[in-house]
Amino acid sequence: MKSTAAGIMTTNFPTLLPETPLTDAIRLFRQSSRQHGRRLFGIIVTDKNQHLVGMLSMYDILLYMRPKHIQVWGAMEDLDVAGLIDAAGSRLKAIQVGDIMTPEVITVGPNVDLFMVLDIMIKKHVRRLPVVEDQRIIGVVYISDLFNHLLERIGD
Amino acid sequence: MVQANTLRNLSVHKAMRRQVICLEQNKTIGHGISTIIKHKVNALLAVDAELQPVGVVSKTDIMGAYYAGLPIDSPLEYIMLSPPLFCKAGDSLETALEQMRTSKVYRLYVADDQSGELVGALAYPDIVGLLYQYCHQCPYSRLNREKQPGDKEDLLRFRVRELMTSGVKSLPMDATLTTVMEALSAYRFGAMLITDNNGRPAGVLSKTDLALTYKHGLAPSAAVQEVMSTPVHACDADALLEAAIKEMILADIHRLFVHEGDTNTLIGVLSLTDAARGRSGSCHGCVSSRIKVEDHA
Repeated sequence: MKSTAAGIMTTNFPTLLPETPLTDAIRLFRQSSRQHGRRLFGIIVTDKNQHLVGMLSMYDILLYMRPKHIQVWGAMEDLDVAGLIDAAGSRLKAIQVGDIMTPEVITVGPNVDLFMVLDIMIKKHVRRLPVVEDQRIIGVVYISDLFNHLLERIGD
Repeated sequence: MVQANTLRNLSVHKAMRRQVICLEQNKTIGHGISTIIKHKVNALLAVDAELQPVGVVSKTDIMGAYYAGLPIDSPLEYIMLSPPLFCKAGDSLETALEQMRTSKVYRLYVADDQSGELVGALAYPDIVGLLYQYCHQCPYSRLNREKQPGDKEDLLRFRVRELMTSGVKSLPMDATLTTVMEALSAYRFGAMLITDNNGRPAGVLSKTDLALTYKHGLAPSAAVQEVMSTPVHACDADALLEAAIKEMILADIHRLFVHEGDTNTLIGVLSLTDAARGRSGSCHGCVSSRIKVEDHA
């Protein structure tokens, strides 16, 4: 059992709706990291029927926060960085999760072999894979869990 | 510092962005809006299955789709403009600006001189950014001159009023999004000033706001006040051009409304496009020695 996606997936994971304001999503990142005892860098986005519609990752949020003309900033002096971070924060208010999430997400079935999961993560540069059965998400495989699982198996 | 006096000879590859945001033409308009918002670009390059450029989808095209009531899951190919316009990396900035002006486009895609492969994109803000950098390095820059008290060099600096577009069109807060879209299209503006019941500036509705509203599923019959951005970013007509440009660059905004005296009296708009079309840096020194300033009358 442990050598498939279902064997190492986590079934307790947070989700977001596309309509959720981004500011709420950021709060969920912080809360979930505390609750689940692990730093979360990506949250699954589903519609109201629990169907996967995307993934909101740290990278999506950082991309949006990156100043548009950053290449010119090097020439500037006396930048008020604190003020600029506040300004970037206020720009997030009008944004919803669905506006900046990554809509195309790679998934695996529950019976996919552990090494296939590993291969997909390496080739596609992803750190988490939703496990989907009958179009519903039943779990998530995190790269850290996969790694820890392999370490334990090798140590045995 | 040799380059500071030779803006005229700068080539496109100095100013272009190397990251070109592409999306396949069969992806949805909703996906396109997300891509544009996330990457903070005004347009994306639509590509075919072989990743060859086939069209451009701008915020204007997205607004057109919203206005026409096109479902948000329609493919980008329904609204893209074909073909995309290209310049060469080795072309002079002058030539590229002229091509943008005559073709009435706000961006060009850049092809490698030899291979013809896509290597970048050039838009007005990129040119302003480059000019800003050169001004900063220039020995006549205000920052450098301030170290020499008693200098009258400030008289030669560009003021916002010299490059702004005079006159401001506005709509009241209870206008519908449809009315705003019609006005933006008629005047070829990127954003509209929204005023309160007393005619005072209350907010701004840009094509970016409209793209988000479309994505969020709001009907075009909604009132502007539900979605407009606040506050109105503005500066004084006598502010230094470089200060205004710096504010736009830092705040990720494309335009500043311009007031004179009373902050409720707006007399014009300065956009990064205006600043780029000015074809000069921050002072009149460049007018004679570098690049001719376009007639703004």
